[in-house]
Amino acid sequence: MASTSQFLASLARLSISSPASRPAASSVPRFLAPSATTQIRCASGGTAQMQARQREKDKLKRKRRQQRFKEYKYAVPSGKGEQFSLCDAMRYLRAAEVGRPPSSVTYEVALKVRTIKNGPVIRNRIRFPYPVKNDTRVGVICPEGSNAMHDARTAGAVAFGEQSLFELIKANANNLPFNRLICHTDSVQALNKAGLGRVLGPKGLMPSLKTNTITKNVKAMMNEMVGAETYREKIGVIRIPIGNIQFSPKQLSENVKTFIESIKGDIARMEDRVDKDIIEVVLCSTNGPGFTLNGGFLPTDEKVEPADLATAM
Amino acid sequence: MVNPGKRMNILKTLLNLRHGPGAAILPPEISRLHMDFALRWNDGHMGPRKFWKTCLPRLKFWNPAVPMIINRSSNNAGPATLSIYFRQAAAAAPTPTGSAAAKVNHITPLAQQPHSSTINECPAPPPAEGERVVTIEMKHQHSDAILQEFLQKTGATVLRPSPDEENEMRQAEDLKERAAIDRSIMKKYIDDKRAEERLLARAREEAEAIRLANQ
Repeated sequence: MASTSQFLASLARLSISSPASRPAASSVPRFLAPSATTQIRCASGGTAQMQARQREKDKLKRKRRQQRFKEYKYAVPSGKGEQFSLCDAMRYLRAAEVGRPPSSVTYEVALKVRTIKNGPVIRNRIRFPYPVKNDTRVGVICPEGSNAMHDARTAGAVAFGEQSLFELIKANANNLPFNRLICHTDSVQALNKAGLGRVLGPKGLMPSLKTNTITKNVKAMMNEMVGAETYREKIGVIRIPIGNIQFSPKQLSENVKTFIESIKGDIARMEDRVDKDIIEVVLCSTNGPGFTLNGGFLPTDEKVEPADLATAM
Repeated sequence: MVNPGKRMNILKTLLNLRHGPGAAILPPEISRLHMDFALRWNDGHMGPRKFWKTCLPRLKFWNPAVPMIINRSSNNAGPATLSIYFRQAAAAAPTPTGSAAAKVNHITPLAQQPHSSTINECPAPPPAEGERVVTIEMKHQHSDAILQEFLQKTGATVLRPSPDEENEMRQAEDLKERAAIDRSIMKKYIDDKRAEERLLARAREEAEAIRLANQ
């Protein structure tokens, strides 16, 4: 088989080299063919090494040509009826979630991004204007009567102090008033001496440098801790909880806006020449269906006011 | 997030959220609903549960401003009641959109208002000033019966789907039927394939056994 293909190739080359006469491939007399193949073999062939080198070169050339990388598959929703305004989507989702305890239900956003498979991914932290979870209660370990203690008190820590806090932790280890614990650098020694690792370790509360919970600036750390949310792109989609089911449309729209702005900023800030763009924004809830948003706000039904979508659930 | 084509087929069933049993517009003097029943369905708590799952989403869709609170507990021996709170005509002039209800509710912050719960946190609150409560006993009742009683006691206007929507609903139904047929065909194919594989495997085993015996 190899010989015939070579033979055909040689014929093609022959016809190119002599455009004046240009014999048709089929019209070449059969007795000419063997001589033609031998000729070409002598001209371009060579040893196996040479052929290998040639193959290598071709491969490189092909690689250079292939500048487009593989992308995650996506489909753009088309048509007008398939997209919803924010209030419409909320109306459906609230109907789907009726009777569920609001503490267990959140609005979620899935952001579809056009992106290559082997490129960098978007990941960052965001603070929403209306935090989704506001049940972060911070405890602060700091020297009694210090500036840090004052800061902790003003920033809204539920428990602070040094020895008094240790005693409190030891006394009711199973019912702690806080779910985050940070430590001031001045109190690290006291903390280590108190031997609370057995109590706090399994709960993941033990302050350490590795978890970034030992700080000099208590106030900044607490600010950072409360209501920050991390997100990360996974196979071309970024998902994040974006609001409590009891949020009003206005609150939710502000959160969504902040989120999209933040993503756009992330994309713009990326180094290299990665071109990612947002394809669609889908709003869903814990147990509800997903709605592609069209960027509008007002409900299509005039009888429903945005204020109606913020009643108790 | 699945692909849009698939998702749109699911969204077609949004019609189910709009039309069906429970699609009714409540009169404006109804300020809120409260349901109280058990987490599990034993002892006649299945009816209320089904009413919640099938009818309440549609009611909520058509009356987004009316708070509908469901308080469930683990006490199956307890009652299953549906309380309907009527605003007295004198207390608040009924507005067509029911935004008065929203206004009343915005006076107290949202966190302190009763909310749905699975641990019996919010039992039915006593009626506020100028409110009247009508209750429905739901225990040992079918959800259809509960709906009928509810519609009768509230005087809600039942909504019917328009011809277009009816058509769409029928299409969705057809899609479902076709899916069932396709699924059965696929299942038969897979089952046949597996049976054949099993047969082959057994034949091979036997051949092996014969070969070993001959040696």
